Amino acid sequence: MADKLSILLLDDEPIVGRRLKPALTKIGCDVEVFENPVEAVARIDEKEFDIVVTDIRMDEMDGIQVLEHVRKKWPRTKVIMITGYAMMSLAREAMERGAFDFIAKPFKPDDLRQMIANAARELGSTVDFTPAQ
Amino acid sequence: MVNQTDSPEDPSGTGQKSGIRHIYGNLEIIQEARRALLSRKRFSVRNQIYSAYLLVFLFAVGVAVVLILDIEQVENRLEFLEFANEFTSEVQQARRFEKNFFLYGTNIEDAIENIHMAESIFELNADQFSKILGASLQQSISKKISAYGQLLDQLDDIKRRNPEGMPDSRELSQIESEIRVYGKSILTSAQGLIKMERNALRETLDRSRMIHIISLIVLLLFLAVNAYLLVIRIYSTLKRFSRYAQRIAAGDFTPITPRRRYRDEFTELALAFNEMIKEIDNREAALIQTHKMRAVGTLTAGVAHELNNPLNNIMLTVHMLIEDYKALSDEERLEMLDDVAAETGRSKKIISNLLDFARESASKIETLDLNQLLKDTISLVENQIRFSGIKIELQLTEHLPHIHGDGQKLQQVFLNLILNAVDASSKGNKVQVLALPGDQPEFVKIKVIDYGSGIPSHIKSSIFDPFFTTKAKGKGTGLGLSVSQGIVAKHGGQIEVNSEVNSGSTFTVILPVTTFPRDIPIL
Repeated sequence: MADKLSILLLDDEPIVGRRLKPALTKIGCDVEVFENPVEAVARIDEKEFDIVVTDIRMDEMDGIQVLEHVRKKWPRTKVIMITGYAMMSLAREAMERGAFDFIAKPFKPDDLRQMIANAARELGSTVDFTPAQ
Repeated sequence: MVNQTDSPEDPSGTGQKSGIRHIYGNLEIIQEARRALLSRKRFSVRNQIYSAYLLVFLFAVGVAVVLILDIEQVENRLEFLEFANEFTSEVQQARRFEKNFFLYGTNIEDAIENIHMAESIFELNADQFSKILGASLQQSISKKISAYGQLLDQLDDIKRRNPEGMPDSRELSQIESEIRVYGKSILTSAQGLIKMERNALRETLDRSRMIHIISLIVLLLFLAVNAYLLVIRIYSTLKRFSRYAQRIAAGDFTPITPRRRYRDEFTELALAFNEMIKEIDNREAALIQTHKMRAVGTLTAGVAHELNNPLNNIMLTVHMLIEDYKALSDEERLEMLDDVAAETGRSKKIISNLLDFARESASKIETLDLNQLLKDTISLVENQIRFSGIKIELQLTEHLPHIHGDGQKLQQVFLNLILNAVDASSKGNKVQVLALPGDQPEFVKIKVIDYGSGIPSHIKSSIFDPFFTTKAKGKGTGLGLSVSQGIVAKHGGQIEVNSEVNSGSTFTVILPVTTFPRDIPIL
């Protein structure tokens, strides 16, 4: 288990979780999916994930708050933000606050896999991913 | 008015359009008003003035004619009075000579001469005498004169026969008594005649004076009444038109319809007003459209962002389906395809919602469910609001009575109020939208409440003015509230504002509910 990359995926769109969980599991990640940011933050308090992927805009709590929470609690954890096209300013803000990277919707599974591979490399880990040509 | 235009018997031949009423650009109604205004009989202010002058002139002519006739009569009477006086003095003279004859035996020829003179005066004016005295009296006087003359002749005869001394006194005294009776009678008649004629003259003069006084009074009354009517006519019409101007300024573009049975100079003014109303109405419609397109621009960012969610879902699903196609079970593939179908449907809804709003359609009046209308409006702005970090709270009242109106335009009003509320709020605040029954049963009210900066009291009176804005340059057009107020006024409603600096504002839209069979007066 220790060599598997642990990922927490937070997006209030259920389909995102449904599709990305198998996609990331395939490249050797251990994925936990949340739709509710409050529940996700509670889980983050319990466990140190290698990577947290979170949507920026959600109803109860926004992605920036999740980011700050993670940065405070687990400085080693890489946080990838999912943003909408029209929210470049928010994305920039996220980067300033220490996000690892951001990805704009709509994206392909491989885009996120690539980003996770990059993060894994920084973490000194590897994932089983070669980008499709 | 409206029902007339919509009635199937509408002679203008717009039958296929009946049933659809437009809030803006109601050409038919303006045409109808024009026809009604022009179909009346013309009675202009000018006509009234001219005919009054003509009447006064005719009246003056009539009075002048009567007075001229009267003066002529006075003249005649004076002339006749002169004759009567002359006649009387001749008779008196004759009697004096006659008396002298009996007393002193002086000659009688002078008396005969006088009575002939009197007789000739009497005969010369026989017509007038008979007119005044009556034919029989005139004849009897005439007879008396000739009898008196004959008696004098007899006396003269007797005198000639007896040049010396007094003749037979018996014969004389008989003639004397007879002649006195005649003489007295003639004199009495003549004096009576003068008296009568004097009275008649006085009467004529009195009548002439009365004609003067009465005609002056009549003239005065007529001029006063005419002036009063003219002033009322002009003044009240001017007042009416100033009311129209105020009404139009307040956004009520109902065309002016006939208020009188006749048309006049003001009819042209009314037609010009209606023409102006049409222009303003068209312009306002254009302004509303411009404003709407700006709102659409504002909303587009939110919608584009919102669209990314289903698009992302589709993209992820399709890529995973391609990637794992062989490994997936039929059931899993079907589930993924279902997701794609649902997400495309969701995309369509997001876009069509905006497009429905943006579409420049001929506005039509229909029965509207206020709750549904507000839900649709909120879904349109939801992204925009979430984007600003503001929470929107919609509180509806079940079973609100339906309203009558143009859904798209009303949506624009609510959208505008909500976006204003969002602009006034800071991050983390909430905006409340409430649909409530009105204070009166035939109204409903919609409140849009924010807890933002509020409106300073010194600008509260200007917020509905066109082009008034407190927003940064390039952010607001200053048209939102002005356009909203125009739309609400068209629906027979109003917008009220309650605001306190730093604690927020409440905009209340009050709209009349649909009542049957009476339609609300939208024009």
